[in-house]
Amino acid sequence: MVERIEDLNLPNSVIARLIKESLPESASVSKEARAAIARAASVFAIFVTSSSTALAHKQNHKTITAKDILQTLGELDFESFVPSLTQDLEIYRKMVKDKKESKASKKDTSTTAENANASTTAATEDATE
Amino acid sequence: MVEPKANPVERQPNADTFLPLSRVRTIMKSSMDTGLITNEVLFLMTKCTELFVRHLAGEAYADAFRQKSGETLKYEHLSQLVNKSKNLEFLLQIVPEKIRVHEFQEMLRLNRSAGSDDDDSESGSESDE
Repeated sequence: MVERIEDLNLPNSVIARLIKESLPESASVSKEARAAIARAASVFAIFVTSSSTALAHKQNHKTITAKDILQTLGELDFESFVPSLTQDLEIYRKMVKDKKESKASKKDTSTTAENANASTTAATEDATE
Repeated sequence: MVEPKANPVERQPNADTFLPLSRVRTIMKSSMDTGLITNEVLFLMTKCTELFVRHLAGEAYADAFRQKSGETLKYEHLSQLVNKSKNLEFLLQIVPEKIRVHEFQEMLRLNRSAGSDDDDSESGSESDE
């Protein structure tokens, strides 16, 4: 559970990078604007999570699924996110599947399969394209 | 260069995440009554939050600087965007419009003379200068 409110903050450096990537190179961002976006992102995640949980409960499911989230985004007027997230999800699923298969063939007992690190992710991506 | 790359849908689909998954999990748990979050759901929520950051920054910037680039994205641009976008309504308390102290005092005075001391005035009190 959350002990301190700071535990809900997203790292500033990552937020700064994401913002930078979505603006023209010559643009700059005020500190206050960056802090507001970071706060908004945390609240967005909470908002989508609780809405998806409500949706899952309405269908008598205890656990939320990817489908619940995508449907919720549509209901919350963020349907523009859905196509690209659906594609990301496909790639993620393929990656997890490939991982499992290669693990099974190697009889590797490591348990960290799902939380792939960036380099293997990139490698998998290259292979699937 | 002139047009901000505001459209999040144009991004290449991929399975890389930038935001820390553990932090996103903490944020999700803070709003959920059931504890179980699958890796897939965690991945999707992380992606979705990243997309939201890009979206928010891009939209606010595009709004403020339709034609010219090389300007600073400021807090005011965000609060204006939040104020006019229906799907950002959930951020009204998080990114409130700034008001000047004398405007706030005027609001208080009007409220009092109208005989209603509304709690809403609290959210507007985050003013500086």
